[in-house]
Amino acid sequence: MKKVTRRAISALLVAALIITGTAFYCWRYITDGADWASFFGNENVTGTSVLTDRNGVALASETGGKVTFADDYATRVACYQTVGDMSGNIGTGAITRFAGRLAGFDYINGTTKSTGKTVKMTLDSALNVTAYNAMNGRSGAVLVSNYKTGEILCMVSTPSQDPANPSKSPAEGTYLNKCISASLTPGSTFKLITLTAAIENVKDIYSQTFTCSGSVDVAGVKINCTGVHGSQTVEQALAHSCNCAFAKIAQEVGGDTLAAYADKLGFTSSHSLDGIPTLAGRFDKAPAGSANLSWSGIGQYNDLVCPYSMLRLVSAIGNGGTFPEPTLLGHSSVDKPTSLISADTAQRMKEFMSYNVKNSYGTGTFPGLSICAKSGTAEVGDGNTHAWFTGFLDDLDHPYAFVVVIENGGGGLRNAGAVANTVLQAAVKSGS
Amino acid sequence: MDQMVTYVIAAARYILPVLALWVIFRCVRSMLREKYEPEVWGYVLDGKNKKVYQLNHWENLLGRAKSADVSLDDRSVSRVHSVLIRNDDGAWKLYDTFSRGGAWVNGKNAGDGAEVYSGDTIKLSEKELVFEDISPARRAQLEAGRTPAGRNIGPGLTLFGLTVFQAFLLLEHTVTASGDYVMNITLGFLSLMLIEWFCYFAMRSIRRNGFEVEILAFFLTTLGLSVVATSAPAEMFKQIILIIVSVVLFFIMGWWLRDLDRTKKIRVVVAILALMFLILNLAASKVTNGARNWISIGGFSLQPSELVKVAYIYVGAATLDRLFRTRNLIVFIAFSAICVIALALMGDFGTALIFFATFLVISFMRSGSIATVALAVTGAGLAGFLVLSVKPYIAQRFATWGHAWNDVYGAGYQQTRAMSAAASGGLFGKGAGAGWLKGIVAANTDMVFGVVCEELGLIMAICAILALLVLAFFAVRSAAHGRSSYYVIAACAAVSMMLVQLGLNVFGSMDILPFTGVTFPFVSKGGTSLLSCWMLLAFVKAADTRKGASFVVKSPTKAGREEDEDE
Repeated sequence: MKKVTRRAISALLVAALIITGTAFYCWRYITDGADWASFFGNENVTGTSVLTDRNGVALASETGGKVTFADDYATRVACYQTVGDMSGNIGTGAITRFAGRLAGFDYINGTTKSTGKTVKMTLDSALNVTAYNAMNGRSGAVLVSNYKTGEILCMVSTPSQDPANPSKSPAEGTYLNKCISASLTPGSTFKLITLTAAIENVKDIYSQTFTCSGSVDVAGVKINCTGVHGSQTVEQALAHSCNCAFAKIAQEVGGDTLAAYADKLGFTSSHSLDGIPTLAGRFDKAPAGSANLSWSGIGQYNDLVCPYSMLRLVSAIGNGGTFPEPTLLGHSSVDKPTSLISADTAQRMKEFMSYNVKNSYGTGTFPGLSICAKSGTAEVGDGNTHAWFTGFLDDLDHPYAFVVVIENGGGGLRNAGAVANTVLQAAVKSGS
Repeated sequence: MDQMVTYVIAAARYILPVLALWVIFRCVRSMLREKYEPEVWGYVLDGKNKKVYQLNHWENLLGRAKSADVSLDDRSVSRVHSVLIRNDDGAWKLYDTFSRGGAWVNGKNAGDGAEVYSGDTIKLSEKELVFEDISPARRAQLEAGRTPAGRNIGPGLTLFGLTVFQAFLLLEHTVTASGDYVMNITLGFLSLMLIEWFCYFAMRSIRRNGFEVEILAFFLTTLGLSVVATSAPAEMFKQIILIIVSVVLFFIMGWWLRDLDRTKKIRVVVAILALMFLILNLAASKVTNGARNWISIGGFSLQPSELVKVAYIYVGAATLDRLFRTRNLIVFIAFSAICVIALALMGDFGTALIFFATFLVISFMRSGSIATVALAVTGAGLAGFLVLSVKPYIAQRFATWGHAWNDVYGAGYQQTRAMSAAASGGLFGKGAGAGWLKGIVAANTDMVFGVVCEELGLIMAICAILALLVLAFFAVRSAAHGRSSYYVIAACAAVSMMLVQLGLNVFGSMDILPFTGVTFPFVSKGGTSLLSCWMLLAFVKAADTRKGASFVVKSPTKAGREEDEDE
């Protein structure tokens, strides 16, 4: 009998499978329950769910599986990727990602009401329209947030289309929200990361003098500069966006430290925007002394940056090192802010970026805005350049952080900077 | 007053899972936590080494193996040498299990069985032992020292808890049900309460106090009744009749299993009947949802494969002498193969899978051989591919598996609705009778897990799974004290069968496994399934040898050579 008793374990094996399966089901209930509940066939959700912007403008409403989008054509197009589409081509769209909230779902009570819910986003759809128009048919991304609250005010990705009348084969990149799901060569905007690493790791960074003769030779490779900048401080080097200086700084910081800062500042990892995963960027460590190490500190080589990660860095600088994570749904009081850099470093970086605007771009380019920023003109190999412009307003009443990227858009300041100015002027005016 | 009712209804949503957990928790404590001492049926004395071996079962293995019941440390003894078996009347027999040195009783070769009486000498090769039967007085004395079932956790109170649970459930139904059916539903639930208390007092009257197995089954049956009340309230009366028939069959089956000799005698008859049933089914059934597993007799539709499940275990379980004396499983494998093939021909892929899983459990318990099991799995895997290639209807279900959401109007129609409704219920449910999933085809059978989740909540659905798991753990725990390997194998096979069925039902409807359309034991609506589940339960009762627990098990103090006037 003892032998048979031992073999009874086979019944326990079956039981173990059932327990595993049940645990798996519970896990799926937690992760996917909201999606299941929001399925249009679910008759427990009978009312209309509405997704609005911060001013109550309806961006999408859903009744029994039928979605209607904003009344206004311009709003529909400008908010296309943020809101999402009917056929689910945009996986990061709000109507897909926030479906559970729209259905009024929570894990404890399931669907609590027989009526639908209204979910209000922090987005200002009017600002989106302004940004979309400013892009003027060019491809890219515009991202503006309030760095005091983390609320995203503007999120535009181009090219776009009308979700109410979608094309079967739209222009390439239409289904992508480039603010969070694209990573591009950052060019000189990456100097912000190199400089942050230098401030905290190169002791004599402020006493050094950087000489620029228009180009520099690193390990036999000639790195060209934007001009001949002569002798300059680190502050001036950033303002000149001097490649010669940053080629040297990158070497002084070293590949290990530079890679560590790319990681630490969140450029190589995916973040969660209200549960929507953002795309991780890329930073490859080049050998010490190599030209590639210099290039990587200038934002070329294999560097790739997601606009969202850049928004986090400039938010941190603007807000004194610590900032609330960007959000489309708003934060509750229990959400803790993220500490990215020290207050000292943030203060230094802010001064550098402010000096940069005043001395290189000229405040006249941004009338009325106390702006701290950095431009980037990223070479992408085929003679084209991505235009970047990122920074923040040093203004307690209008604490906006921003990132503008235009793919193959030419010079950073002239193109992306102009879009940033248009959007920021509108944001300040509307005071949202 | 109306205000009061509103409050009670709102509270019932939370009271129901608490009561269900309390009932299950009491069953767990009583079935799995209470002391469970072995019975003693005789002794084997080793005079030379001054050692006394207790015989705790009716079937005992003698040999050198550590896992033998009488483990003899003697080089001349084979690892598996012989089995010493007591029959229902208390007569003992020794069987040689192809040992090297042979087995003798008083100098006579045991071979195919030699009677052994108290004081007889048993010789295994060189080893001499003396068998001693236990005296009725000594057995009564030992029996008095064992922990009676339900001493600390009385099943009466547990059953009362279940009754309160049923009352709250009924209350919820009376609010949500349409006026025409309130009476129907109320009568249904009251009848169920009557049935369970009648059974309880019937058991008490024959001094049997182990009622937890039945309570768990009644708990599941209650959920099933609730599903009928919400999905087909007009059929409440029919369901109650089915429950009564099921419970009666449970008692008949249990009573029949009491006598092991009687049970063994008709195994061949049962096997032939089962095969005839399947052939009849193949010949005379009609196709429903692609599967030909129903036959209609005078307005009642019957699923013969459900009854064959019971027969399958009845035939498949075996006593220890068979386990060690007939080394091969060929007859059983052939029987299993015919069953599975017949089911596959009917297109009842789910049931074929259940049979196969049960086959694995039984064949492992009988042979102890992983190789046999591996061989069977390989063979079935090949056969499975064959079935997939010739049955487009089953291949379709495999194709949908894991992709239900890609085809919400086609192959994934039922699963997506079930998942959606299940998530809608949250932890506490929308209330009995308040769901919508019940309106979908086969909601109260194949997708019953979704209905329970939606209306009674995830906690209750997990309680239903838990109830069956507790039965399984109890069967395994009882295995250590089983009288005969027949009961042990049957009980373990029965709970495994129910668990596999539960797994296919739950995970199939939730798109974790292919959707095979089998029933959730006790909970799914469907007459034959309920009958077979209650009959399978009798196997579990047969393995419950706690003191004074099971009506299927004769009291040791009375089961003896003297006149067997039980109770």
